[in-house]
Amino acid sequence: MDSEIALAEPETRFALDAKKWAFRIGSVGIWVLPIIWIDVTTYLVLTVAGVTMGMLLFLTASGLTLIFGLMDVLNLAHGAFFAWGAYVGFSILNALNALGWVETGTLGQSAGSVLLALVVALAVGAMLGIALERIIIRQVYGDHLKQILITMGASLVMAEIIKIFWGPNDEVVLVPLAFQGSYDVMDVIVNKFRVVAIFIGGAVFLGIQLVLRKTKLGIIVRAGVENREIVQAMGYNINLIFTGVFAAGAALAAVGGTMWSIFKEQIHPAMGEENLIFALIVVIIGGLGSVTGSFLGAIMVGLAFNYVAFLLPKLALGVNILIMATILLIRPWGLMGRE
Amino acid sequence: MRAMPKQDSTPVQRERLLERMTRFTRPSFFIQIGLLLALIMGPLVLSSFRVMDVIAKIMVFTVVVASYDLILGYTGIISFAHGMFFGLGAYSLALVIHHSGSPQWYHPFLALGVALPLSIVLALVIAFFSLRVKAIFFAMMTLALAEFAHILGIQWYDLTLAEDGVSFKLPGILSVDWSAGRFLAADVNGRLMTYYLILIVSVALFVGLLRFVRSPVGRVLKSIRENEQRSTALGFKTFKYQVFSTVFGSATASVAGILFAMWLRYVNPESVLGISTMLYILLMVIIGGLGTMYGSIIGAAFIKITETWLPDLQKLAVALFPNVDMIHRLAERWVLYFGILFILVVFFFPRGFVGKARDMITRRKMSSVEND
Amino acid sequence: MPEPILTLKDVHTHIGLHHVLQGVTFEVTAGRSTVLLGRNGSGKSTTLRTVMGLTPASSGQIKLDGKAIEERKPFEIARLGVGFVPEDQAVLYNLSVEENFRLAMLVENEQTWERMETIFELFPDLKKFWRSKAGILSGGQKQMLAIARAFVNDHQLLLIDEPSKGLAPIVVEQLGESLIQIKDKTTVILVEQNFNLASQVGADYFILDDGRVVHHGLIEDLVEDYEIKQKYLGIG
Repeated sequence: MDSEIALAEPETRFALDAKKWAFRIGSVGIWVLPIIWIDVTTYLVLTVAGVTMGMLLFLTASGLTLIFGLMDVLNLAHGAFFAWGAYVGFSILNALNALGWVETGTLGQSAGSVLLALVVALAVGAMLGIALERIIIRQVYGDHLKQILITMGASLVMAEIIKIFWGPNDEVVLVPLAFQGSYDVMDVIVNKFRVVAIFIGGAVFLGIQLVLRKTKLGIIVRAGVENREIVQAMGYNINLIFTGVFAAGAALAAVGGTMWSIFKEQIHPAMGEENLIFALIVVIIGGLGSVTGSFLGAIMVGLAFNYVAFLLPKLALGVNILIMATILLIRPWGLMGRE
Repeated sequence: MRAMPKQDSTPVQRERLLERMTRFTRPSFFIQIGLLLALIMGPLVLSSFRVMDVIAKIMVFTVVVASYDLILGYTGIISFAHGMFFGLGAYSLALVIHHSGSPQWYHPFLALGVALPLSIVLALVIAFFSLRVKAIFFAMMTLALAEFAHILGIQWYDLTLAEDGVSFKLPGILSVDWSAGRFLAADVNGRLMTYYLILIVSVALFVGLLRFVRSPVGRVLKSIRENEQRSTALGFKTFKYQVFSTVFGSATASVAGILFAMWLRYVNPESVLGISTMLYILLMVIIGGLGTMYGSIIGAAFIKITETWLPDLQKLAVALFPNVDMIHRLAERWVLYFGILFILVVFFFPRGFVGKARDMITRRKMSSVEND
Repeated sequence: MPEPILTLKDVHTHIGLHHVLQGVTFEVTAGRSTVLLGRNGSGKSTTLRTVMGLTPASSGQIKLDGKAIEERKPFEIARLGVGFVPEDQAVLYNLSVEENFRLAMLVENEQTWERMETIFELFPDLKKFWRSKAGILSGGQKQMLAIARAFVNDHQLLLIDEPSKGLAPIVVEQLGESLIQIKDKTTVILVEQNFNLASQVGADYFILDDGRVVHHGLIEDLVEDYEIKQKYLGIG
């Protein structure tokens, strides 16, 4: 009899799922609306810019959402990892430039410079993440207020240390030669590096999904997001996994920072805080603990920001805050979150 | 007035009566009077502008921090928008004077008339939001909102003059141009008058906040903070209290902002709307102690005094090590030390300076009771 | 007398300010399934959680197979061979049935998959919904999954907390049948309010009241003892 009930359920399940998917598709489809006010060419350029921004925001947001979903930790220092990634990447690119790899050189050397910058940023991000988790985060599990305060303090300290090593001014970031300039696709100017960014963002997304869904580690993390205790009772050292996830999140944010710095061609010490605000918005819209959610949310935020920035520049961030507020009021668990 | 408690009065009533009867004999009363006298006589006796400057800033920030303590410490609402209200007040004064050409005596009142309704409405919106949404989400919202205000300040050139900031003069006797001779060791000028205006308003606001938390409404807030479910079960419409206290705290902060603008006569987005202002407020409230009004005085004083005399320490460090660049850089980054201090305080003194002091006093009282 | 597989000596547990376990002492013999009985709030679930390390003991001794485990972390205790089926939320809804099992498997080898065959025989529904998300299973099926999952490893001890809670009588019957099969393959400590189910599964019993063991003995004796059942369990 039970099996009959379970079989009947999928049909009602489908109805509920259909509503869910309608909501999701609707909230993505709404971005086609701006065509009313913007001419098609500009719209396409903005769309590419928006998707790029989304991909790069996703890198930071994915780590943040997993950390919150798995560890229930509010990490306001996440932006600092982003900034560190950017600055480390900046130094690597400068060093490689002295060898002639960046502003001059072949496609291979350009690609290699970006790759090297990313790898080093990743490593630095992971190390910073491990350090922060062990020294500070561990002490404040379970206390949201203390987490907020302490991670704000840590974020401040990390930003100041950046100023000590690199100075407090804005710096120009070099774009490797092969990625400078743009493609002209039927009058739509597409910046070359944006294509690279979209590829890398997409690759990271697929990579994370692969790990989460196909590997044992992924199963453990997804289970832990749902119920930490059971995972412990099943024989897994959840603390080790926490440190690992935290470090991975930090590493991703650092990679995001490096990519962002080349995308914007500049860095400044406050970039971490700015990125954090966006990442928070993305995570809330997408749903805490959902990587797919933060992917969709990031694209949405990127598109919204670019469309509005073109039409009403001052309100670009405001629109995203509005979206976040709306989601919080009508669907607080986010697009892909669970009640 | 009832002098004798009724036979069947409650412990709370008896305690309050005792407190009221010994009001003027407790040591804390003398400290308060002493402090007040020092604030009044200070600039008349000391001729250092720096000292007056620090004290004025401490007074203003005490109000900001105390009002934040009301929201965070007493009502338990985690908000990062407090700096925004402060900036709102500051900009109200600056823009009113700037856009009208020349400063008039009624401008501060006009500024109040702009800042107060604006902050009350904004605070109402925020307060209602806080009740609909989980605490951490709300905190993130306020963070984003504050940053949005900051960006508006930077980008809305026509209104706010963006990063250039707004420089302005004060009207009448508050103006730097006004002067009326000397009194004791001080020049009686616009600066001094502004100082006393700030003194009067800050003390009034601080006392107002104090009375608020000690009032029956304040006590309900305390019970809500400790156990919201029980308070609701007892019949208190908790949301009304939370909304009221949020609005009161935020509005007070914007008045403090007006005072701050009066003192500096210059505002720009970074100094009053930036995230650093909010961080400083957090730092001050944590150091002083959450849920302790007097802690805000300690917190504000500590940070402002350190801030003012750190550049001197910096110069000393540079003088001692003229050739070591790293030392220079380390000395410059005093915000770094604040950050580290902040982390240490959250770890080791979560109840702040005043909280720790009160714990020690309670412990001493309890051990003396045991030893009897 | 065969060696006790689990001993608790004067175990106290605090949850916040509540002194929940106030000196629990008992022994479980290997191969003999044991039932913990008692009214709501007597401390039965907390006892299991304390053994598992999820709600650590504040004082007292707990020995598993002679090894002291009162200071160990839950994951260490699990790896020493203790399986745990909690009262609520045992099953991970967002994972498929297959993933629930893979998560539970500490090692994946021939023996594990042989045990899976046994599990499929005992719980055929789980094979049917192998790839479906565990959240769509009915209440009874979820409980079956939770128990089967704990069984997939070769644990020496299985702690099961109120499996029949919220289930329809016919489902409880099925549950009982599966538990009877399982109890022969390992040692089960069962916390149960449903005395019928408890008496089918258990050999020994301990009654808890106010955080202490107040009575113990053989289940077969307890079935007839209406006085004790009325006094401590409110039934009879």
